[in-house]
Amino acid sequence: MIRLIVSNRTPFLFTLVAVIAILSMANACTEQNVFSPANPPPPLVVAAAADLQFAFSELAERFEQRTGQPVTLVFGSSGQLAQQIEHGAPFDLFASANVAFVERLRDRGLVLPETVAVYAEGHIVLAVNRNMAVEITGLHDLENPLIQGIAIANPEHAPYGLAAKEALVAAGLWESIEPKLIYGENVRQALQFIQTGDAQAGIVGQAIADVPEIVWMPIDPSLYNPLQQALAVVASSSQPEAARAFAELVTNDEGRALLKRYGFGLPGE
Amino acid sequence: MEANWVPLRLSLQVTVSATLLVLFTGVPLGWLLARKRFPGREALGAIAVLPLVLPPTVLGYYLLVLLGAQSPLGQWLASIGFPLVFTWRGAVIAAAIASFPLMVESARAGFEGVDPRLEGVARTLGRSEFAIFWRVTLPLAWRNIVAGTALTFARALGDFGVTLMVAGNIPGRTQTMALYIYDLVQANRQDEANRMVLIITALTVMLLVVARRLTRRAV
Repeated sequence: MIRLIVSNRTPFLFTLVAVIAILSMANACTEQNVFSPANPPPPLVVAAAADLQFAFSELAERFEQRTGQPVTLVFGSSGQLAQQIEHGAPFDLFASANVAFVERLRDRGLVLPETVAVYAEGHIVLAVNRNMAVEITGLHDLENPLIQGIAIANPEHAPYGLAAKEALVAAGLWESIEPKLIYGENVRQALQFIQTGDAQAGIVGQAIADVPEIVWMPIDPSLYNPLQQALAVVASSSQPEAARAFAELVTNDEGRALLKRYGFGLPGE
Repeated sequence: MEANWVPLRLSLQVTVSATLLVLFTGVPLGWLLARKRFPGREALGAIAVLPLVLPPTVLGYYLLVLLGAQSPLGQWLASIGFPLVFTWRGAVIAAAIASFPLMVESARAGFEGVDPRLEGVARTLGRSEFAIFWRVTLPLAWRNIVAGTALTFARALGDFGVTLMVAGNIPGRTQTMALYIYDLVQANRQDEANRMVLIITALTVMLLVVARRLTRRAV
């Protein structure tokens, strides 16, 4: 009885072991392709605030072409990226949407203090899904009952969410529209909610608002504190020179012109 | 746009590693829980199942605090050049922890279903305990272990929350399929998201079908 079952199962056992072995081998090859030190140089990992999605993708491409140094972009909310750096994430450069996160890391010795620089000023806009039948002329239109979902980034850890909250509070709308708010994990997710129409409107960064599904209008800058966006080289970076070079590209005339084109304000202007 | 296969390869790499890790730790624990009586056995069994019950964020947070740069263990691992958090190995740990209970419970049920008298017979025939395990107990519990392996693989492949917290979401390093799809949706890249969702669905269904075939009762 025992023998019978063993012999019946044996081919399956071999099949399973063989499948696992093949996968493991495939896996070892993958590891070499992706992680081999023989592929110089390793990618520069730039952790960037979600509003930099479009601007930094273009900058990274230019940087790669010019220097041959590959760049990996990690987008997220600034608060989350800062928290990951505190727990040892292997980032080389951190471009925050808010100078406060960079300063906190500087105070803990986690970024190189001399590399801290404000590189842009972030503005928020009122964004509306293009298919919305309601005409929008200003923030107060968010009270319109036809608008059931309003997307903003989470004010707890996303600087754009905080700016959106400031503007809504200053406009005296926070109380009335709070039940309609939908929090994105970061400003890019808030944008996506509006793009798909799951939220009919929302408040997002101007730098990412130029997408086909959306129409937007500026929000009076006196209603909120424009985001002082700062960057710094991460102290544990294994290639600080390349990180400095990328930071230089962001803050020099070329980078400033590009950021301006994407709707950022500039420090000292 | 060219499809990006790196997340799929990374997912397979992480999932296979995690499954092997769980196979070699979960099966012995399952056997221990099924066959041995010792103080704290029930508590150990409960702890082993905990990852199934706890929210992934809680697991991820535990691992981050335990293995991160701020913990002594994390600092030591980093000093010997083997950091876990925010590396693909961290993703393996995350996936392994998340899927561990499925293996332990399957193996335990399998071993409990083996008639102890059969082991007793082998013992009277002079077999060593080790030989009894390999020649009697394990073959009889085999079906459950294969099922457990398939479930482990599927759960490890699908892990999102624990991986995100422990390994981050770094393209080419720790961005597995689940995380890549999350990013694609956020970036509103629906074509690529659709493709990846179909691939991972097909892969998982195939796997479960194979597992069912393997574990089907011999007539």
